Amino acid sequence: MVDQNSNYALQTSEVYVHYGKKMAINNVALNFPKNEVTSLIGPSGCGKSTFLRCLNRMNDVIDICNVKGKFLLNGNVDIYSPDIQVETLREKVGMVFQKPNPFPKTIYENVAYGPKIHGIASSQNELDEIVKDSLHRAGLYEEVKDRMDDIATGLSGGQQQRLCIARAIAIRPEIILMDEPCSALDPIATAKIEDLINELKENYTIIIVTHSMSQASRVSSKTAFFHLGNLVEYGETGKIFTKPDKEQTNDYITGRFG
Amino acid sequence: MSSLEKRLAAEKRFKFYGMFAMTLSLFFVLILMYKIFSTGSGAFVRTTINADVYFDPNFIEVSSNSSKKEIMKASYVDLADQVINQNHPGLDEENFIKVREMYTRKFDYQLRDYIANNPNVIGKTVNLDISASSDLDQIVKGNYPRNVPEAQRKINDYQLSILDSLDSKGKMSKTFNFWFFTNGDSRDPETAGILGALMGSFYALLICFSFAFPIGLLASVYLEEFVKPGKITDIIEVNINNLAAVPSIVYGLLGLGMLIGVFGMPYQVPLVGGLVLGFMTLPTIIIASRASLRGVPPSIREGALAVGATKMQTVFHHVIPLSLPGTLTGTIIGMAQALGETAPLLLIGMVAFVMEIPGGAFDPATGLPSQIYLWSESAERGFLEKTSAGIMLLLSFLIIMNTVAVLIRRKLEVKW
Repeated sequence: MVDQNSNYALQTSEVYVHYGKKMAINNVALNFPKNEVTSLIGPSGCGKSTFLRCLNRMNDVIDICNVKGKFLLNGNVDIYSPDIQVETLREKVGMVFQKPNPFPKTIYENVAYGPKIHGIASSQNELDEIVKDSLHRAGLYEEVKDRMDDIATGLSGGQQQRLCIARAIAIRPEIILMDEPCSALDPIATAKIEDLINELKENYTIIIVTHSMSQASRVSSKTAFFHLGNLVEYGETGKIFTKPDKEQTNDYITGRFG
Repeated sequence: MSSLEKRLAAEKRFKFYGMFAMTLSLFFVLILMYKIFSTGSGAFVRTTINADVYFDPNFIEVSSNSSKKEIMKASYVDLADQVINQNHPGLDEENFIKVREMYTRKFDYQLRDYIANNPNVIGKTVNLDISASSDLDQIVKGNYPRNVPEAQRKINDYQLSILDSLDSKGKMSKTFNFWFFTNGDSRDPETAGILGALMGSFYALLICFSFAFPIGLLASVYLEEFVKPGKITDIIEVNINNLAAVPSIVYGLLGLGMLIGVFGMPYQVPLVGGLVLGFMTLPTIIIASRASLRGVPPSIREGALAVGATKMQTVFHHVIPLSLPGTLTGTIIGMAQALGETAPLLLIGMVAFVMEIPGGAFDPATGLPSQIYLWSESAERGFLEKTSAGIMLLLSFLIIMNTVAVLIRRKLEVKW
């Protein structure tokens, strides 16, 4: 059962996801503590990305995807309730994707787009301020301040991904979902993103799907291990990577499978 | 022979076949081009006869003070006859008619236009180049042979002698035929121009674009982005592809039966022509637009949705702008095809003799291809030139449109 503990940014229970008849998530319950980084690990096809995409209803776009379960935002908002506008939910739960996907517009427009459509800024100055602030927080401002009107697709992969993070935080979400944000990046760009995640957790709850166990251990305080649609084990990151309770987890982190 | 040698030999053979096919097709294109250019280039040049024109007030119904409207309304036939008498003194009635035939029938219009532009010329003598008749023009250009019996010639012996004497006095000359670009159709080849047909085609394409582009774009956006794929979309998909292959004459029949027959739209106007061409272009636009919508990566849609954009905002702020170059390219190629389409125009009547240059989509008009068709039907040699020149013009427009389409694709397409 979901308890009403407000120390959790997001609580889920009895989550089942089907793609057509194929089961992707089987009875998962996970709670995400506020202002902490939780990583979801597991072999390919284990359902961790599917689970992540349930959290801001990105799976709505996929016709055959059927999501069941309880999802409570801040202990009281059921995100799959018919009263909830999916657009307002995504204003609170931002997302960064595996492959950097900046809009092929200017750097400024990329960051300003979210605030614009949600009417967050009341004046051009305020919008400028939000863009500047978001780029600052994403650690990109110094690099792009002189070329805000350049097309974003001209940036390097790492810069593009940080731009996507800036775009996500520009609408002031509470939670940021990251779906393997570093898998398309080189080690230096990856290190920068990881530093950024450490800074961002001051203000945001971050849920990150990653293939790299070292990344999970570096950035997250909680780790959940998925296998074949089941949540095998969840706990403190240190514990999961040193003395896991389940043998399956042990096999995975020691590289015996996956 | 080893197997590698065999494979290399096969490659060489294949290269040769390819070269052969290329050369052969280039050869045919060159023959076509040569034929069109050699026949059509004459249409851009017009033979003129230099004459002293005394604007005799006795033969002019108007004065320098008359309004332009009055000047345009008055008759100048007597003045034209007077000018011929002046330049060829001592002609009897029979010979006068023969000499008159050497000048364009529209001689009086040429004088009228000159007076309209220079009203003060009345009472003065001016040296003017008068357009020759088409038959004389063809003799001078060498398209009609001179060395055949008189009965087989359009220009008789007497006229030839006059021509030679004019020529020896240096009175014959050639000028660039602006009329081809500024006049509407005419019964006389020397004054017939393409502008009427050009404007007809222009208005038809304008209607075609404003009808087919928005509908095609919205239909493809709806099919590609909003509707759930299923049996109905499959049926629609098959039908759209099918419609793109329907012969254009069927669309002409549709226009005749529906637009003219049922809705009572007028016959022969670019409005109906444009709508029919629009029907025809619609499937092409939808297919091109859908392909280019599909080319927009899903990650862009996800990116927009993830910051809380609605489906509609995602499509209109991101997907459509990114797919527009492809859609426009398809549209222009479809319109180029529509520009060259003749059959639908024949059926809705845009193939009649129209002298007036249409001032809008509701005026009777022909189109470029139907004008070419009309001229090609004419017996007079002068129209043969016009036919080829019309084809040249049509081809240039097609080349321009297709080049623009390629440029749009190159310049605007986003690289991923």
